[in-house]
Amino acid sequence: MLLKSTYNELIKIAYKPRSFIGIGGLIIIISIVLFAMKVDGDLYISLITGQFEQSLTFEGTILNGNLIAFIIIQMLIIHVPLLIAFVTGDLVSGESAMGTIRLLLTKPVSRSTILLSKFLASCVYTLVVILCLVFMSFVLGKILFGTGDLMVLKSDGLIIFQEGDINWRFFYGFAIAFLSLITVATLALTLSCFSENSIGPIVATMGIILLFTIIGSMDVPIFDNIRPFLFTTHMAAWRYFFDDPLNTTNILYSVAILVIHIVVLLAIAFYKFNKKDILS
Amino acid sequence: MMFKLNLSILLLLLCSVNTMAQDPRLLLNKVLVKLSQAKNYKAEINISVDLPYIKMMPINTKLYFKQKDKFKIDTKSIAILPKQGFLQLNMLLTDTANYTAIQQNQQVLNGVKTSLINLLPNNDTGDIVLAKLWVDAKNQVIIKSQLTTKSSGTIITEYTYGLQLAYGLPDVIKFIVDVKKFKIPKVLAGDLNTTKSKKVEKSSGEIVVILKNYEVNKGIPDSTFQ
Repeated sequence: MLLKSTYNELIKIAYKPRSFIGIGGLIIIISIVLFAMKVDGDLYISLITGQFEQSLTFEGTILNGNLIAFIIIQMLIIHVPLLIAFVTGDLVSGESAMGTIRLLLTKPVSRSTILLSKFLASCVYTLVVILCLVFMSFVLGKILFGTGDLMVLKSDGLIIFQEGDINWRFFYGFAIAFLSLITVATLALTLSCFSENSIGPIVATMGIILLFTIIGSMDVPIFDNIRPFLFTTHMAAWRYFFDDPLNTTNILYSVAILVIHIVVLLAIAFYKFNKKDILS
Repeated sequence: MMFKLNLSILLLLLCSVNTMAQDPRLLLNKVLVKLSQAKNYKAEINISVDLPYIKMMPINTKLYFKQKDKFKIDTKSIAILPKQGFLQLNMLLTDTANYTAIQQNQQVLNGVKTSLINLLPNNDTGDIVLAKLWVDAKNQVIIKSQLTTKSSGTIITEYTYGLQLAYGLPDVIKFIVDVKKFKIPKVLAGDLNTTKSKKVEKSSGEIVVILKNYEVNKGIPDSTFQ
C-alpha cells in the first residue's frame, strides 16, 4: 500500500510543471558555469594559485572535470535546497489549497502512510535532482574538461588530491549532500502540513535556510553556540570528504545532526498531519 | 737536485690552486662544460612537496631537457616546482658576460670540500640579485646554490649526485623556498564550517625531486616540448 501510494505521489510530482522548473534551472545554471569555465577557466585558476605564483609554478592540468564538479557543487549546494523546497513545500498544502486532500484522506489508507508516501516521493525527487547535479557537474564536466588531480581551495591553503583518490570522495560527498537536501525536503514537507496554501511553506523554508545560512556564515562569537546545531551548517558537510586527513568525527556529527533534524521534523509532520482538520 | 724538484712541484701546485682561487670563472667554466655534455636527457622523477599552506602526495612523472633551454615536465598530475627551479641557474652561468664571479672561502658540505663563489649580476634588470654557489672543484659540480631573487625571495638548492656524475646531473635536488602567507576569505573558499586553523609558523618549505633512470643524449624531438 505504501509503495502504491508513493507511486501515486510521484505521478503527482511528475505532472506538476514546477517539478521541472528546478531541474531545468539546474541544467541552465550548470551549463552557464561550464561555458564560463571553458572560456575563462584559466583566469579562475590564477585566482586560486596567484598567491603562490611568486615563488612556485604549477605544472599539469589544474582545470579539469574534477575541479569543475567541485566548483559547481560548492556554488549550487546553497541554492539547490530552494529548488527542492519549491516542490516538497507543496506536497500537502497544495492538496489543501485545491481541496484534493479530502478525497485523498477518504482512501482506506492511514494518514501516516499517506504522509510517509509523500516523504518517500520527496526523497525520490531529491535523488533525481542530485543525480542531475552529478551528471551535469561530474560526468559532463569530465567529458568537457577531462580528468586529473583535484586542487581544493581552502581559506588557509590548498589540498591537492591525486586522481585515483577522488571518486570515492565525490561519492560520499554527494551522499551527504543528498542527506542535507532530504533535511530541507522534510522541513518543507513539515511546514506544508501547517499551511493551506503552497506559497507559505515554500517561502518559509527559503526564509529559514537564508536566516540559518547568514547566522552560520557570520564570524560572530555570539552565534558560536548555535551554529553547530543549525542544519544549514551541516549542508556543507560534503566538504569534509575533501579534507586531509579525513575528519570522521565531524562527518559523523554532521550526519547525526541532519538525521536528528529529519526525525524530529517528520515527527512534527506526522503529529500535525494526523490531527489536521480537513473539514473546515 | 731533489729539493729543487720538490720545490718546483710545490710552486706549480700552489700556482694552480692560486689560479683557481683567484679565477672562479675557470671553475665555473669547467662546471658548464660538464653540464653541456648532456645535450639532452630525460629522467623519471619523483616530486615530494612539504610546503606551508599546501598539502599533496608525492607524484611520479617524467622530465625532459634539451640544450639550451628546452625543459618540460610531462605530467597529467598537478606538480609544484619552485619558480626559479631547474633552468635559471644554468642560464645565468651560461651568460658569462652578465655576471661577476667572486671567490669566497672554502667550505665543507656533507663531507665534500667546496669553493664558495658569489655571482653578482652586472645589470639590475634581471630577477636574480645574488647567486651563491658551493662548487665541488674535484668533481666540477655544484653541490649547493642560493639564489636571491626579486620576485621569489631566496631559493636554496642542494644537489646530490650519483650515477650521472660524469654529466653533472644530480640524483636528488632539494629546493628550499620561501612561501608567502596564504589567506583568503572563507566565503570565497567555500569552507564555511572550518574552525580556526592552526597557525602556520613556517614561512619556507621543501620540494625534493628524485631523478632516476636517466637517458642522456639519446635524442629528444623538439615536438616533445610543445
